[in-house]
Amino acid sequence: MKPINRFEYPPELQPVFAKAKKLEWISVFYLISTSVVVYLTMGNSQAMKTAYFEDILSLTPSISFLIAARIFHKRPNKDFPYGYHRVVTIAFLCGALALFSVGAFLIFDAASTLIKQEHPTIGIKVIFGHEVWLGYLMIAAMVYSTIPSMILGRMKLPLAKKLNEKNLYTDADMNKADWMTGAAAIPGILGIGMGWWWADSVAALIIALDILWDGYTNLKQAIFDLMNQIPKNVDDRHTDPLLLQVEQKLKHQPWIKEHAFRMREEGHIYLGEAFVVPHEHDGQLTMRIEKLAQEVSDLNWRIQEFLIMPVQELPQTNAQEGRPGQNNPEIT
Amino acid sequence: MHRSGYFIFYLSCFLLLATSCQDFPKDPEKTLEQVSNGTLKVGYSENPPWVVKGPEGPTGIEAELVRGFAKTLNAKVEWQNDTEQNLLEDLEEKKLHLVIAGITDDSPWKSKISFTRPYTEMAKKKHVLCVVMGENAFIVKLEKFLHQQQSTLENRLQP
Repeated sequence: MKPINRFEYPPELQPVFAKAKKLEWISVFYLISTSVVVYLTMGNSQAMKTAYFEDILSLTPSISFLIAARIFHKRPNKDFPYGYHRVVTIAFLCGALALFSVGAFLIFDAASTLIKQEHPTIGIKVIFGHEVWLGYLMIAAMVYSTIPSMILGRMKLPLAKKLNEKNLYTDADMNKADWMTGAAAIPGILGIGMGWWWADSVAALIIALDILWDGYTNLKQAIFDLMNQIPKNVDDRHTDPLLLQVEQKLKHQPWIKEHAFRMREEGHIYLGEAFVVPHEHDGQLTMRIEKLAQEVSDLNWRIQEFLIMPVQELPQTNAQEGRPGQNNPEIT
Repeated sequence: MHRSGYFIFYLSCFLLLATSCQDFPKDPEKTLEQVSNGTLKVGYSENPPWVVKGPEGPTGIEAELVRGFAKTLNAKVEWQNDTEQNLLEDLEEKKLHLVIAGITDDSPWKSKISFTRPYTEMAKKKHVLCVVMGENAFIVKLEKFLHQQQSTLENRLQP
């Protein structure tokens, strides 16, 4: 049985992890630059203000990934005997909470400008002696903050799936969905130019709703993770088929009469325990348990620790749904 | 790649639409249209050397800028003298088009009305004119005029 070890990705995933880190650094610098550009051209537009907040907030998944990447593989010690894996989920929760609360605030803000009928004022900016309507600069800023972001998102998505990395997945997904921001803000600004004062607030409202939605889905996921929900795939949120393999493994042991097991996620890795009722108690039991635990851990790099507990009969508290290995409808 | 393709297509359609309009941006309440060949309603509050009360309407740097701007629009100026507070409240209610009172861009009125971009800077204070909110064609016209006056104005203000 292997203890929770200093975690490292298996050799074949090391370059993927390195690439993900590199892309996240690029994202951080890119997002800082877009926030500056959007801030400088923001003027009086509510849509631009909302887009600015979105840019700042979309930094949180990247930063939490990079911070977590430095911490999660630390060796367990006396004070933290289970290691540092949960740091990933905590980082994720913080980002989600920020998104959710700022999203809610921005919806309120956009709605109140709409109700108060505040007409956005957009004047000119003088650039190298040329008089340019600030609205055109806003549009340029939005194009800059949208298109590279979509490309980065597309590059990060497959890496996140391979690494089973939620922060990275959320980040990639948010980047990919960034076209929404551009697609709302640009017509909003052009609408102001057409003399439709409400276009700006409506665009801001759409962007704020998008932020709130991201916040809600991430918050839900972070809470489920912290409550030890059964392991799910990062992308489609279905129960990981790996659990079926574990179930098969346990089922095909001739020395096991009955069994039940449960698994949970901690960051990228899975931890779990099985209760088994052996047929007979001979001197081989310890050896068999050790061998089986090793075989289960060898199924995939994600299974970091799998404990096997021999019992006289299966714990009754685990009846029905609580027995994920057997009657759980989620698996079958 | 589908979605991003649509997105770029959609974007270029909008941009094409926008740039094909000559009068862009437009006013939601057609202020520029009404003022041109009509009346420019301006409130003033004394604040020398920017606004100085005179027998035939105000004089001073800002008053002269307004007269110059009105001339480019072929508009007659209708002056209204009051306290800064009252004038800005009238401006907020769109009873005036412009207010001059030697206001700088750090004024707390910023959220209720609009300021033009600073037309000059003196003693580290950026001077602005107050404009009715959201009438973007009118504001762009005024800001362009102020920008063109900038060099002559700075020569005059040199000590």
